Amino acid sequence: MNNSLLVVIAASAIFYGTPLFFAALGGVFTERSGVLNLGVEGMMLLGGVTGAWASQHVDGPAWFTVLASILIGMLAGACTGLLHAFLCVTLRTNQTVAGLAITIFAGAVGLSSYFANIWEVAKSPVPRPIRKLDVLGLGEVPVLGPILFSQNVLTYASWILVVVASVYLFRTRFGLHLRAVGESPQTADAMGIDVVRYRYVHTIIGGSLAGLGGVYYSLAIVPTWVDGMTKGAGWIAIALVIFGFWRPGLTLIGAYLFGALQSLGTTLKARNIQISGDLLDALPYALTIVVLVVVSTQFAHRRLGAPASLGQPYEREER
Amino acid sequence: MRSPIRFEKRLTQPAWLSWGIPLLSLLIALVIGGIVLQITGKDALDVYDRIFERGFASKRAIQGSLITATPLAFTGLCAAVAFRMGVINIGGEGQLYVGAIGASMVGIAMDGQPVGFVVVCMLVMGMLFGAAYGSIVGVLRARFNTNEIITSLMLNYIAGILLNYLIFNSRSYWRDPRTQGFPSGKPIGDRGEWTKFSIFGVSVPLGFLIAILAGGAVWLLYKRTRFGFEVGVIADSPRAAAYAGIRTRWTIVAVMALSGALAGLGGASDVGDFRHLLDAKGLQLSNYGYTGIVVAALARLNPLATIFVAVLIGGLTNAGYALQGPDFPSGLVGTLQGLILFSSVAGEVLLRYRIRQNRTPRREAVAS
Amino acid sequence: MTSKTAVKMTGIVKRFPGVIANDGVDFELRPGEVHALLGENGAGKSTLSNILTGLYRPDAGRLDIDGEPVSFSSPRDALEAGIGMVHQHFRLVPTFTVAENIVLGEAGASVFVNRDRVIARVQELSERYHLAVDPMAKVWQLSVGEQQRVEILKILYRGARVLILDEPTAVLTPIEADALFMTLRSMVAEGRSIIFISHKLDEVMAVADRITVLRGGKTVGCVDTASTSTKDLASMMVGRSVEFTRVTRQQPATPDDIVLQVSVVSALDDRGRLALTDVSLSVGRGEIVGVAGVAGNGQRELAEVIAGMRSISSGSIAVEGQPIKSGRARSAIEQGIAHIPEDRLHTGLAASHSVEDNMALKNYRTSALSRFRILRRKAIRHQAADLVERYDVKTPDTRTPVRLLSGGNVQKVLLAREFSSLPRVLIAASPTRGLDVGAIETVRSRLVEAADRGLGVLLISEDLDEILSLSDRVLVVYEGRLVANLPIETADRSRIGLLMGGSVDGVGARS
Repeated sequence: MNNSLLVVIAASAIFYGTPLFFAALGGVFTERSGVLNLGVEGMMLLGGVTGAWASQHVDGPAWFTVLASILIGMLAGACTGLLHAFLCVTLRTNQTVAGLAITIFAGAVGLSSYFANIWEVAKSPVPRPIRKLDVLGLGEVPVLGPILFSQNVLTYASWILVVVASVYLFRTRFGLHLRAVGESPQTADAMGIDVVRYRYVHTIIGGSLAGLGGVYYSLAIVPTWVDGMTKGAGWIAIALVIFGFWRPGLTLIGAYLFGALQSLGTTLKARNIQISGDLLDALPYALTIVVLVVVSTQFAHRRLGAPASLGQPYEREER
Repeated sequence: MRSPIRFEKRLTQPAWLSWGIPLLSLLIALVIGGIVLQITGKDALDVYDRIFERGFASKRAIQGSLITATPLAFTGLCAAVAFRMGVINIGGEGQLYVGAIGASMVGIAMDGQPVGFVVVCMLVMGMLFGAAYGSIVGVLRARFNTNEIITSLMLNYIAGILLNYLIFNSRSYWRDPRTQGFPSGKPIGDRGEWTKFSIFGVSVPLGFLIAILAGGAVWLLYKRTRFGFEVGVIADSPRAAAYAGIRTRWTIVAVMALSGALAGLGGASDVGDFRHLLDAKGLQLSNYGYTGIVVAALARLNPLATIFVAVLIGGLTNAGYALQGPDFPSGLVGTLQGLILFSSVAGEVLLRYRIRQNRTPRREAVAS
Repeated sequence: MTSKTAVKMTGIVKRFPGVIANDGVDFELRPGEVHALLGENGAGKSTLSNILTGLYRPDAGRLDIDGEPVSFSSPRDALEAGIGMVHQHFRLVPTFTVAENIVLGEAGASVFVNRDRVIARVQELSERYHLAVDPMAKVWQLSVGEQQRVEILKILYRGARVLILDEPTAVLTPIEADALFMTLRSMVAEGRSIIFISHKLDEVMAVADRITVLRGGKTVGCVDTASTSTKDLASMMVGRSVEFTRVTRQQPATPDDIVLQVSVVSALDDRGRLALTDVSLSVGRGEIVGVAGVAGNGQRELAEVIAGMRSISSGSIAVEGQPIKSGRARSAIEQGIAHIPEDRLHTGLAASHSVEDNMALKNYRTSALSRFRILRRKAIRHQAADLVERYDVKTPDTRTPVRLLSGGNVQKVLLAREFSSLPRVLIAASPTRGLDVGAIETVRSRLVEAADRGLGVLLISEDLDEILSLSDRVLVVYEGRLVANLPIETADRSRIGLLMGGSVDGVGARS
């Protein structure tokens, strides 16, 4: 029963969807503050390569190495987030181009590849990958076992995170202020909210979550570093923010949908089901376009719309 | 706390800034890149010296750089044309692939036809295929207001998968049936191979000359025609465009088709000037589309400057290929390109703002 | 310690690139007074109040609150010092509820928002000051008047002792304005102080205890209301005496010779809600028809529908019997509809484009300015130079971007272009808003001259005085419907005021 196709797909949807969720949740925070981050792909790759490096170089008990890899990957992401915030908030550059610059700078043929090269990260697999757990020995329970009880620690962390993020955004004062900054920075400023600080903090959080998503790729999915291994996941994450209407819960559901699509090729191939692998590979990208078209119609846009100041720098003394 | 500096909007932009700032941006990028190199244990001056040598210092180097510069000039124009209207087409990569597919198709099919005819057909097919692919993005944006950044990027991945399918995973028309082991594309006929022109002893690919013409044409289009005027108004204020009765949707589609056509020409040139077959792997490794964005940004979206910058970045990229090895890690070129992009967006700030020192407000000494 | 002054500003200087907005301004506010800050648009009132609320930092000068020198680096500092401002363009988050807007930025509060406590406090405040509003309503659903109440409640909630109101009556009906004045009085009675920013002489005389007049970024003087007159104030404000009276027409209007006919038109707004319901109106040759109403009652949509910028969901529009295609600006332009939109700089003009490009914005397609789709640059430049001269536009050069021009000159560029197309109908939306007195006079006389020559003008404005002084006939719009059609002879201020507020036939609440 636990090998039935649906169960396997559900389990792997969660497995493959988790890094998309991390990156997309980062996007939710960043965009809620009014900053558009198109650098997610680059941030993920930089997080992934530094995480893999840490796994190879940090000695200690297994849990310590894994924790260090995760934190170092997140730190790398946070640094790029800081860079992005500096460009967009302080220098008020064009946010689109700044994000593209980060992706080109850190991306598949950029710094992440450079680091991999000089540190020889790709030479050997990651020694301490993030493994799937068997929670309370329930891993073999029919249906729910593989789906809910045999995921890795980061997946469980993501479930806590989605709750924390929702409460933060919609129940706390910080969340209220964050949303105000994204909707109307003039209002937030006039009411004594530090727009610059909110934008910096949440862009940095966004970067570190993208970095975490990257670590997931190099430590949990492949356990080896490959240049450009996220293959556009960062961009799908950006689209997921839109599908999720800037809400953590919906973003999680969207991430699992795309996780299912991403895993479909591997799953079906393993079962000798004959479908063109290329077609399956193209599916997530094509579906991204389709869903984007659906949610970008006027109606959806007005109803659950984007933060009103998204992508616009804030200048107090405009005249 | 208050920052020690503040930005003051410039009312007018001195003319020298428009070329001075890109130049400064380039220098700053190289300095930061040098610092990265030094930190990671490389000798920056040595690396730059070799880049210069292999990119620009000899006739052979320049020829190689021009070959790389040609597709970059096209993808740079592709980005510039769209960015100028505020449509962020980052699909140059995919549009170039599709253009290459179209051009190689006629190149293979028309073996034996007169040379000029084949070349023209390859150019036209490259343009048509690229334009069609770009129009998808344009139509979605114009009709449904769909974010063009993400759609154009997703189409890049899909185009890459299409290339893989055509060459590696099927027995398509483009695949060479004779190859054993690693599959490759079917070579186009001799007549589809574009001639090179010798200028000052340097052999210049036909595609590069076409790129110069295209740059000039785009410049004229945007500077002198009604269409260019309309694009400018849309970029400035979409509401003003609607107010003036400009057909914004149609213009978006047209610009995206033009943008795609230019990238498609780049693909045709890659087939005709350089590889003479549809090289699925080579095209995807080259990253012409993304690099084109760097080119356009550094050229500040000026079509003529784009050609010039393409040669510069082409040289850098070309040297990167040539030097690839333990002393010259892969990824360095991309890192440098990213740094150039950073410093050119940051440079735009200097164009728009003057940086002033913040003073504490002067207080009149009031004794009361 | 009680001080004789609540706020004292001395020698305030604030420069922006290209302008000195405040050039040594002095201002003093006593506790418990309503102090008006009077001046023309561009006199430096808003800049001064933005300095007082910590949004801008002065380049020079001194600020004392309750006799203590202070230096604000952000609005938070000002709020903590008890200074709050009701901005002309409200500082509200439209997607938030009233309560959420009110607690925004509350300092030193708990992490979680105690909704019940907030609502109770808001209700208490709104009862005390007669500022009725539902704390759970979303702000975007409120009328403009209600939104203003939220703005006031917001700063009261933060404990403001000094309230700054920037042109607060601009968005209100005369009745709402009277209610506001009552509220202000009750706040002053409690010892709060109010800075009332305005350029309208009558209301300043009605509400203020003292008046400080600004002109060209400098303080002209401070007077007691009791010892001055509107005439004196006007000459202080403008530097000469001004009298806005009803403009005399050279040619009578011919309302029966219809040039613009709007027949039972309905249309949606940007959010997809019905903004216009079965609107029918006509404008005759040489007639100026005023459309009065509080902002947000469908005026913007009405202008856009006629100018072809917005599709109509039912009904029809025709110019001299020729229908214009719904939502096609080009069709409207070709039928001779000229349009001066509310948002001049970003709708009526392409702000970063040059004066000459903007002069050609509507006729660049004609054979005079382009041939074979190629622009005739020389012709475009000649046209611009000619219009700049005829309409007395002050610009260094025809290639100067319009965003660098002053407000009055921006409007002149627009007028020049729109009139030069020899239109049959002109839609003018708030054509004088934000202009100084000289520019207002120019715009008004241009409108009247054009009407004398036979142009049909639909004048949409929230400024009732403007409508009454220019129109031949007045329409009143309320919630997307036309509720009255009055010849100018029977249109009196108070009746229109009631109609604007939605009372059925303009006699509703009148005793």
